[in-house]
Amino acid sequence: MSTTAIMAHMIPYFPDRELSYAAAHGLIDSKVDYLEVQFPFSDPSADGPTIEDACGRALAAGFSTARGFEFVHTSVDRGAPPVFIMTYAGIVYASGVKDFCDLAKQSGAAGLIIPDLPYDYDEGLYEAGLAQGLAIVPVIAPSTTSDRLTEVLKSRPEYVYAALRVGITGAATELGQDNLDFLDRVGSAGAKVMAGFGIRSRDQVTMLAGHVHAVVVGSAFVRAISAAADAAGPDEPAAAAEAVYSAVETLVAALRPN
Amino acid sequence: MQQHQYSGFKNTFGEFGGRYVAEVLRPPLDELEAAFIAAMSDPQYRAEFDAICTNFIGRPTPLLHARNTSREIGGAQIYIKLEGLANTGAHKINNAVGQALLAKRMGKTRIIAETGAGQHGVATAAICAKLGLECCVYMGEVDIARQKPNVFCMELYGAEVRPVSSGSRTLKDAVNEALRDWASSFENTHYLIGSALGPSPFPDMVREFQSVVGHETKAQLKAAGVVPDALVACVGGGSNSIGFFSPYLETEAPRLIGVEAGGRSITIGGHAARMNGLGKTGIVQGYKSLFLLDDDGQVQATHSVSAGLDYPGIGPQLAHLGSIGRIEFMRASDTEALDALKIFARNEGVIFALESAHGGAAALKLAAELPPSATIVVNMSGRGDKDIFITAREIAPESWKRFLEQEVQTL
Repeated sequence: MSTTAIMAHMIPYFPDRELSYAAAHGLIDSKVDYLEVQFPFSDPSADGPTIEDACGRALAAGFSTARGFEFVHTSVDRGAPPVFIMTYAGIVYASGVKDFCDLAKQSGAAGLIIPDLPYDYDEGLYEAGLAQGLAIVPVIAPSTTSDRLTEVLKSRPEYVYAALRVGITGAATELGQDNLDFLDRVGSAGAKVMAGFGIRSRDQVTMLAGHVHAVVVGSAFVRAISAAADAAGPDEPAAAAEAVYSAVETLVAALRPN
Repeated sequence: MQQHQYSGFKNTFGEFGGRYVAEVLRPPLDELEAAFIAAMSDPQYRAEFDAICTNFIGRPTPLLHARNTSREIGGAQIYIKLEGLANTGAHKINNAVGQALLAKRMGKTRIIAETGAGQHGVATAAICAKLGLECCVYMGEVDIARQKPNVFCMELYGAEVRPVSSGSRTLKDAVNEALRDWASSFENTHYLIGSALGPSPFPDMVREFQSVVGHETKAQLKAAGVVPDALVACVGGGSNSIGFFSPYLETEAPRLIGVEAGGRSITIGGHAARMNGLGKTGIVQGYKSLFLLDDDGQVQATHSVSAGLDYPGIGPQLAHLGSIGRIEFMRASDTEALDALKIFARNEGVIFALESAHGGAAALKLAAELPPSATIVVNMSGRGDKDIFITAREIAPESWKRFLEQEVQTL
């Protein structure tokens, strides 16, 4: 393929309901290729401070699992690209894994990213996803051993999310030849590789071109949304929505190769 | 010690336990499991552990017949396992030593830990000082504020105490922060979990290192010619209780009674009791167990006067043993724990840690229901020195306030 796809990450109800809908609107109109919608969890131990704080604010703003699916549904109706719901095992398990998959499908989601339900502790996620026609996206890291990588790829997942470094989301990532070799190895089995963790610039996107199907940009969008909302202030909701919409549009443009 | 192949590794306990972690944390956990099993089968490792138990921890800790209290109640004989007399003031040191030795064997040079009350942090900092390991302890800001003396001790041992300002700023948030650290530091760092929870192999490992308390108590009871009717221990995450109960998990007697924090009231945010129908099955922090959750699976707020019990989840093996009825669970409120602390101090010359005083309170209740021929053994998992800023404020607020004002002036 000629260009690298962009998957933009966002959190419903962050910083509040209206502004998160404005962010989704901006991302849809900017024609990002994929949308990753993170359902906040009270104890997001794989996320760094940016996404952790945003999840806390979203929960305080009234996020619930039902409202998350409503958000996905509304976004899909509005013409969103394929939506992947990312969340933690605890949230999926509380709804029941099968029911969660059913609800995700009904909302129009294309797939699920649940890092702490790996294939050997998946609570039936992969089977339920298959039954529903939902792509279950395994998440791997550079530390993943080749034995486990072989197991991960055995189920022939359509997509694989590859973290570009060990650690948590949000910190800076220096890309090197090691990353590219790792991504090529993952992609050689035929899965579409989505790579993320610390992607925030066009240079990084350019460097990964040809080695990945898509780049995932998470904390950078969260920061952009947060900054725009804070600058507009709480007293001007319409202006804030406009600012959030433009902020994500600007960031998408800045990430796209010239 | 005779050579034997360790076969106690379980990984899951009924429907609970497991290793629900992102792939990034799989290599260190898989590596740890292998190293743990190898160490447990290695007589040299076990001899090293035993030597530190004797020369550093001060094992065996005494078993005290609480004669005055038993007489006053007129019911069952209460025995107290004085585990709080272990070096650094609580049972936490047993597991800290076991894991720190293991980390050293694995070639790790840095230790991270979470702490609630601070007892696990203090224990970890102490053994790291002794073994020459770098030590970083994550502690919630709320807990730092209520357990300042332990922060001081950790720093004295040379550890760095990192305040955690996320979430509820208590134990569970310190666990999250330690997991975040470990996800990028595991090459040279061991995460020394203090409770019998978290992803496998931690629940098996912590139980094994704490089982020294149970085996020792069993031998002491036998030497005294006493057959226990019930064993009682407080349960936060569950490290002292599972270790204390461990020789009896496969037998029908004695009764095993875990005591959770009843807090102020059995309402959301008023307590930290997960058993007896209050908790829901969930997956949090890498393991499946019973947690205080809302309908969406979000973790709920907890409260206990004791920082060490102020945690929304229970160790997976305890959840399982509770669900099959091998372990009974009771609750003690903040007030009952404080009352028990006063009774044992006056009658026996022993000051319980606030956590352990929950077990003490349940033992007092139970003793009154049983005949004098019966025997109850309660584990005083920690001693109460660290709690003086809480107990003094609750028990003698005026004189304590005057003392603190004087102290400030002297400074």
